[in-house]
Amino acid sequence: MGETGNLGSRIELVPMDGHFRDISIGLYKQESAAGPGYLIHTYSSKDGVAGRMDAIGAAMVRLGGIQKEADGLLRFPCGKGHERACRRLFIESVKQSPSEDPEARPLEILDKKSGLTMTLAPLSEGVFRVECQGESESRERRIATVAGGLAKLGDLTWSQDSEPDLVRFPCGHDHTELAGLLLIRAPNVRAVLREEESTASRGVLAAPSQQKS
Amino acid sequence: MAGVKQMTSRERVLAALKREPVDRTPVCNPTSVATVELMDLVDAPFPDANREPELMARLAETSYTELGFDTIMPVFSIIQESSALGCKIQWEQKDNWPTVKMREPIWEDADDIRIPPDFLTHPDTACVTDAIRILKKRYGDEVAVVGKTMGPWSLGYHCFGVEPFLLMSLDDPDKTKQCLDRMKKATIDFGIAQIEAGADALTLPDHATGDLVSGEYYERYLKDLHIEFVERLKIPIILHICGKTVDRMDFIAQTGMAAFHYDSKNEPAESMDVVQNRISLVGNINNPETLFSKGPEAVRAEVEKNLDAGIHLIGPECAIPLQTAIENLKEIPIAVKEWTKN
Repeated sequence: MGETGNLGSRIELVPMDGHFRDISIGLYKQESAAGPGYLIHTYSSKDGVAGRMDAIGAAMVRLGGIQKEADGLLRFPCGKGHERACRRLFIESVKQSPSEDPEARPLEILDKKSGLTMTLAPLSEGVFRVECQGESESRERRIATVAGGLAKLGDLTWSQDSEPDLVRFPCGHDHTELAGLLLIRAPNVRAVLREEESTASRGVLAAPSQQKS
Repeated sequence: MAGVKQMTSRERVLAALKREPVDRTPVCNPTSVATVELMDLVDAPFPDANREPELMARLAETSYTELGFDTIMPVFSIIQESSALGCKIQWEQKDNWPTVKMREPIWEDADDIRIPPDFLTHPDTACVTDAIRILKKRYGDEVAVVGKTMGPWSLGYHCFGVEPFLLMSLDDPDKTKQCLDRMKKATIDFGIAQIEAGADALTLPDHATGDLVSGEYYERYLKDLHIEFVERLKIPIILHICGKTVDRMDFIAQTGMAAFHYDSKNEPAESMDVVQNRISLVGNINNPETLFSKGPEAVRAEVEKNLDAGIHLIGPECAIPLQTAIENLKEIPIAVKEWTKN
């Protein structure tokens, strides 16, 4: 019976990898005594698949500060799961062009909407302050938008009313690389959510009466 | 279940479709359980797996070999015969369903309806019959191979366009009936071709769905046609209609269909009360919220709810989303087997 063993819970799927022969690639979460660990897996057996899985794993390590451990699983150094952030890290790592070396993102980004440069200032124990440089009437609103985006994308804690410029990884660990990765999408989190919704809705069969085409 | 000797998957399915005793409730897939991961596993991706018999068979058999279902259903899409009728098809990529371009209808009037002479030899219908032959050769009497032939109401949407067809049904019932009567030849011919190829049962989707069409409409336009299909397609037929359909289940139960594949918008116990053992029910594990978005525990809960209500065959409510996780699909037969033991 079957070749599909127990890989854990699939928490994310890229249905077609644009960089490698349109294969599907899943991110699976496994629980163990060592804490939650992540497995990158494809059911494809096309030539070169193992190399592609290794490259995505290496990109996750570089872009998100996750570690590859002896059992082959990826784990964050804090021992926590950070599932939402890990899903984002996985998606960004699959998108990473294989022809470029992945590099950790800086804690700074140009916010195209306001023209401000948004930065993350690491404080301590996993806390980051969202700051900005430049002139714009929307400074405070953009700071709150970016902080809120980080909270949504990575399940960071954020108190919009009392400290709208502070976000914190609940584990208290300084996930600097991960913060930099999340910062890229944080100014436009609605677009990310729309993209996620659109990707998820592909492949859902509608009755003829519900079809748009 | 106690006292019933162990059955093969095929025996189990065919018995349940006749509401005869079974060793356990079968897990049935009247539509599609293809996923992008299963496509990769057997290197049979969409759209090719809808158009090449060997790929179609290879992807379909994973339902039995990988997921542990009691059926194999090779007709993943709902567009094979519409393609052969001349509709324009958007074949899409691996991660999406092929669809009929319904905004470019091919017919406007009953007199336009013509079933082409090459309808059954067209590559997109022949692919289905060839795939069924391959599967019967590979699996014999071990597992039930289920074919699919679209009903005339669904073909009407595809060939006339949804809105024009529904407006015609409001404005000119006689013309609508004439159209349905002409289109039924496609349903019957394709069904017979699949029976001759070795299909053990046929799914007959006819999308008089709860959101657009009332129960009264079903009785007026489709009930007699469905009785005729039962008379002419001499293997068990599983009628499939999406949506809230409890208002027409009594009519459906009068058709002589072997089973009705019902949607999660209908409560299992209420549905069983309506059909009163005149017809088997297949279903109704929710696709978008449960199989696609939740985990095995939620799948198990829905399986058990159906089993507790006495549903005859358990399976997803409709063709599953192509990104559904394999672990959720495997949970369906696991949950059925454990429920049976307890």
